[in-house]
Amino acid sequence: MSSEGTSFYSQGEEAITRKIELQDANTCSLLPGTTQFTEYFELSWTISQIKEGDSKRIALQFPDELLQYSVPIFQTLKRDLRPGQEVYILADTSYGSCCVDEVAAQHVDADLIVHYGHACMSHPCRLPVIYVFGRQYLDIEACAQNLVDSISKDQIVDKSTQVVLKVDVIYAHCAEDVRDALAAKGVQATYSPIPRRLEPTTQTITSLPELEKSEIPPIILYVGPESLHLTNLLITHSFSTVYRYDASTQGVIVESAKTNKMLMRRYTAVQKARDADVIGILVGTLGVASYLPLITHIRATLKKAQKKSYTISVGKLNPAKLANFMEIECFVLVACPENSIIDSKEFLRPIVTPYELQISLQAEPTWSGRYVLDFNGLLNEPIQQDESNSDDDTDKPVFSFMTGTYRHAKKYGAATPDIDTLTSSDSTSVVIRSQDNTVARLADSAAADFLSARSYQGLEMRLGEDAPGVLEQGRSGIARGYQDDHSGGE
Amino acid sequence: MLSFKRKESNSLSQNLFKLQIPFRASEQFQSTELMVFLSEQIRALMDKPNNIRNMSVIAHVDHGKSTLTDSLISKAGIIAAEDVGVKRITDSREDEKERGITIKSTAISMYFEVDKDELSAIKQKTQGNGFLINLIDSPGHVDFSSEVTAALRVTDGALVVVDTVEGVCTQTETVLRQALTERIKPVVIINKVDRALLELQVTKEDLYQSFQRTIESVNVIISTYNEPALGDAQVYPDQGTVAFGAGIQGWAFTLRQFAARYAKKFGVDKEKMLSKLWGDNFFNPTTRKWTTQPIDGDGKPLERAFNMFILDPIFRIFDATIHSKTDSIDQMLEKLDIKLSANEREASGKPLLKTIMRKFLPAGDALLEMIVVHLPSPVTAQRYRVETLYEGPMDDECAVGIRDCDPKAPLMLYVSKMVPASDKGRFYAFGRVFSGTARAGLSVRIQGPNYVPGGKTDLFLKSIQRTVLMMGRYIEPIDSCPAGNIVGLVGIDQFLLKSGTITTSETAHNLKVMKFSVSPVVQVAVEVKNALDLPKLVEGLKRLSKSDPCVQAWISETGEHIVAGAGELHLEICLKDLEEDHAAVPLKVSAPIVPYRETVKTESSIVALSKSQNKHNRIYMKAMPLGEELTNAIEEGKVNPRDDFKARARILADEYGWDVTDARKIWCFGPGTTGPNLLVDVTKGVQYLNEIKDSCIAGLQWATKDGVCCEENMRGVRFNIMDVTLHADAIHRGGGQIMPTVRRVCYAACLLANPGLQEPIYMVEIQCPETAIGGVYSCLSKRRGQVFSEEQRPGTPMFTVKAYLPVAESFGFNGELRAHTAGQAFAQTVLDHWEVMAESPLEKGSRVEEIVTKIRVRKGLKPEIPSLDTYYDKL
Repeated sequence: MSSEGTSFYSQGEEAITRKIELQDANTCSLLPGTTQFTEYFELSWTISQIKEGDSKRIALQFPDELLQYSVPIFQTLKRDLRPGQEVYILADTSYGSCCVDEVAAQHVDADLIVHYGHACMSHPCRLPVIYVFGRQYLDIEACAQNLVDSISKDQIVDKSTQVVLKVDVIYAHCAEDVRDALAAKGVQATYSPIPRRLEPTTQTITSLPELEKSEIPPIILYVGPESLHLTNLLITHSFSTVYRYDASTQGVIVESAKTNKMLMRRYTAVQKARDADVIGILVGTLGVASYLPLITHIRATLKKAQKKSYTISVGKLNPAKLANFMEIECFVLVACPENSIIDSKEFLRPIVTPYELQISLQAEPTWSGRYVLDFNGLLNEPIQQDESNSDDDTDKPVFSFMTGTYRHAKKYGAATPDIDTLTSSDSTSVVIRSQDNTVARLADSAAADFLSARSYQGLEMRLGEDAPGVLEQGRSGIARGYQDDHSGGE
Repeated sequence: MLSFKRKESNSLSQNLFKLQIPFRASEQFQSTELMVFLSEQIRALMDKPNNIRNMSVIAHVDHGKSTLTDSLISKAGIIAAEDVGVKRITDSREDEKERGITIKSTAISMYFEVDKDELSAIKQKTQGNGFLINLIDSPGHVDFSSEVTAALRVTDGALVVVDTVEGVCTQTETVLRQALTERIKPVVIINKVDRALLELQVTKEDLYQSFQRTIESVNVIISTYNEPALGDAQVYPDQGTVAFGAGIQGWAFTLRQFAARYAKKFGVDKEKMLSKLWGDNFFNPTTRKWTTQPIDGDGKPLERAFNMFILDPIFRIFDATIHSKTDSIDQMLEKLDIKLSANEREASGKPLLKTIMRKFLPAGDALLEMIVVHLPSPVTAQRYRVETLYEGPMDDECAVGIRDCDPKAPLMLYVSKMVPASDKGRFYAFGRVFSGTARAGLSVRIQGPNYVPGGKTDLFLKSIQRTVLMMGRYIEPIDSCPAGNIVGLVGIDQFLLKSGTITTSETAHNLKVMKFSVSPVVQVAVEVKNALDLPKLVEGLKRLSKSDPCVQAWISETGEHIVAGAGELHLEICLKDLEEDHAAVPLKVSAPIVPYRETVKTESSIVALSKSQNKHNRIYMKAMPLGEELTNAIEEGKVNPRDDFKARARILADEYGWDVTDARKIWCFGPGTTGPNLLVDVTKGVQYLNEIKDSCIAGLQWATKDGVCCEENMRGVRFNIMDVTLHADAIHRGGGQIMPTVRRVCYAACLLANPGLQEPIYMVEIQCPETAIGGVYSCLSKRRGQVFSEEQRPGTPMFTVKAYLPVAESFGFNGELRAHTAGQAFAQTVLDHWEVMAESPLEKGSRVEEIVTKIRVRKGLKPEIPSLDTYYDKL
């Protein structure tokens, strides 16, 4: 999967055509009813978990590529559970399939969600979740050997070297074995287990068991395929060397080389965000804990910076949806960490993460290479206050690094201007005439401002103002060569 | 990577005079008293605009501007006479001294008293015999042309310096042309006459002919670009608008000076004498009669008056001094009434020659006379300059104020550049008061280049904190500055990036934005060696882009900090300033990056079609070349989006063969709404078309900014919207559906229209002796250079070779040229045009494809150009 994030927004027809490609080589061999199948989906463990919690309504959430197994799984579960326990299969998710779709689950009033497939492990805020990642086979010995070989090629590793082991969720079941195998070969790696069950929380608990902020491990070992999860790991740990073991090729790749380029692209995005006065807050999740406090926090920060914010929820993103909001100059996406970084040329406006927005709002652009994707980390991030600059002129132009010239920032939500001075002092106020010809003033509306600058402002009844149009002959022929197209073709 | 060294001849004396003049504004002149005295006199004169001369010194590189400037400064008493020609007080930066070239233009104000008898020669109004000369010494190297532009804007007259041996060079022509379009009156000094005498050993008549040719070539340029409003700007030796001299020896003369001398001696009228001293006038010493024939009655050749009365004494002094003929020296000294101290007389050879010549014909006198008599005062100049200076109507209060140079009218001040102040990160706004009076505490409107009258963008209401007099890098506070003067402002720098208008009138339009003859075409990426220094780099880049009129700094899509300059030398200086001064952190600099432009070579073979994401809307488009002439016209602003569309359509139809109906339906220019690509609506009878216009425009801006081949800007492409099918329901044809579709269809149309790449091409002018020609040719041919002219300068062994050289191949050219010609050849390069590269980027294995792939990889894109079906949809 590339960083283009195609899994994140999908076109309708794509969903139909891609069915075959997405049949994973590892899963297509699974036949319902076999022990292999039961083991892969950890059916007996699931059942015991459900029974233990004594849940009444259980929602099963599948990503698109596993949807084909939903019915056999459903049947197995239904057979083994008590009669009072109802099982539902949830349909398409509204954001990313890695996140738990709590809203859909609430439609059936579920009290437990079983999430299948790849997960971003964001903390749910309403319902408990059991994760079934799918037990992928891993040759532990080969993996450990390969990793140790490539590390020792580059640097000397002894007992004191801090090494952190990370695995893709599909290998979560054997991560401890890998760690032990590594230890047997002289590499002491620390591994924090991936939880199988998450309880809802509104507390400030970090979603992924984060590494201690103070100590940055010099080496991270990662087992798994290329994924958004890896991208995140790279970007948030840009000071560490990341070695990735790919089970399909049995090779080890040093991934950290790409990190700098990735961070530099994000740096450009931050600069673009600096130049934006109107910012759209895109709601990209409804399931991650503390997404609401974060949105409130962003709104407050933007208001303080005198920027206009609009909050928008469009479900899965695509260029067409966002291009409808032409007045918005930059979007900030509040989504689970894996889906936060959108690096695509297809979008007209830049899309930044909340952390990047926070940096862009600072008076001086500092960019240490530290990167935070986690919501709570963000909320706890100390906001640098530049009190020293407060005596400076507020309407001083800023140097825009995107254009290399000065930019005169528009100020929204400044101290409520006097009605009398409004006309002269506030450039963003727009006078609109409502239907009964009363004049209303719309101060501070970026959208109204934008509308007034458009050449076409919607249907108007220009009765008697325009001469009646003359009927005109349109083009005839086909696009390959219209009949009146003399310039080309011949 | 970049290096530049000047030829050694002129810099030998520099080591002797490393007197370490303080060059920070915080440090003061050695003699502060003198300074105070001067500034009081100067301030008093500022109120008499008739006695002010604002002038710049312009020339080709190394023709001797700064050296000549010294002569004037010495006359004003600011430096000692002995230092003339070596101190170069206007070259205040360390690197200027080291390299011996001027990098920044520097202003200096001087007070002079003119002999009361001379006042009658001044044709303009004067008040008393005290004069204030505000002189700006400008750089001659073509890379710093923007500094010249900024200097010309604030002055009314120009002293054009031309080397006797090298004659009129490209840069002489460029700056002269710029001066004339700004309506700045030129006077000429032919410099380095000593070289002709000492190095070339020419005869008197040869020298006269050489002078004559140089003056003619200057006048040819002047007559081509002449502005009727300026009057006859051509220069004539017999009117005193041409001087001859040697800056390094501190001497110069005009015919007027000699005329005065001989008029007294022979007891004839001065004006009459003056007219005889130039051209075909011969004096027969036996009959004591004037004639216009070069032979006398007996057929014996006669000597030209100029040679006889002017060159002869000079030649004799040179001859006597160089050959140490002590007797004849003493004789001549007596005859010419030159008094030397015993010390001075003891010297011999060149130092003695310098002393004698300086006393015989002090350069300061000749220059001062030319400037005061022949250059216009602000009062005279602003009367005709107002039309080219002011954007607004010619009858509003500001225009009238400028025209009359009225200190009581509303303030109109143009800031032409920013000069770094001693306070780190702060700048003096350097500019000219055209109308009104600038004073500390005055509330003003600061109007940036994008200000539109009545609008709010680029407008700030602030007050001037202080006004200062700029004396090189030294400053002297003054209480106020009336119309007609050049001034530095404190407290404005935060609101203007490089230049702008400052006014007190609410209705004022902008003073016209300066047009530069060079553009920033060489780019490098800079990064800090230590990541924690990034904020310093960012701050440094901001300061850098402020301190230079031409440099640009921005961040690329890949997150690199790009610095762009006019040429290698310019960039080298900028980076040095950035590293040592503005950012003061160690930097890593990438190899130079050349910008390319994407274009199309033919019309799209078929109509391109793209569907919107919801498949309900279709846009049909064709791309075609715009033509080089129209592209240039758009880039020069002759055809621009602000024109009335009917007038523009007329021009397009008459001059570029457009269909009038098409020309009226140009929707927009792009990228950046002013670029050289057009979107034209050629549809017939399409419903709801007006609804999608805004979205189409936005889509085109997007597509032309990042072209399809390698996301470089597009150039010279006309996009025709052939047909549009829109969903009947407005909700399905919103901006979100249309805009990305327009971008895609533009790309598809380009891919169908034989896309191509344009590369920037330099015009190189190389001066070298005949022996070096071979080396020049081999250097050029190795780098895809094409020679289009080779001329020998008559009377000299110097050749001038002109060639086109791709910018991409130009890096290190100067160094290689020096190596191949034993340092005898010297090249000046300036961006000339964009040239379509022959091959196609779509052709596998072509050179252009290789370039495109490299750019794509650098930008982190997929190496291949997207295929047509990425953008082209089947019906």
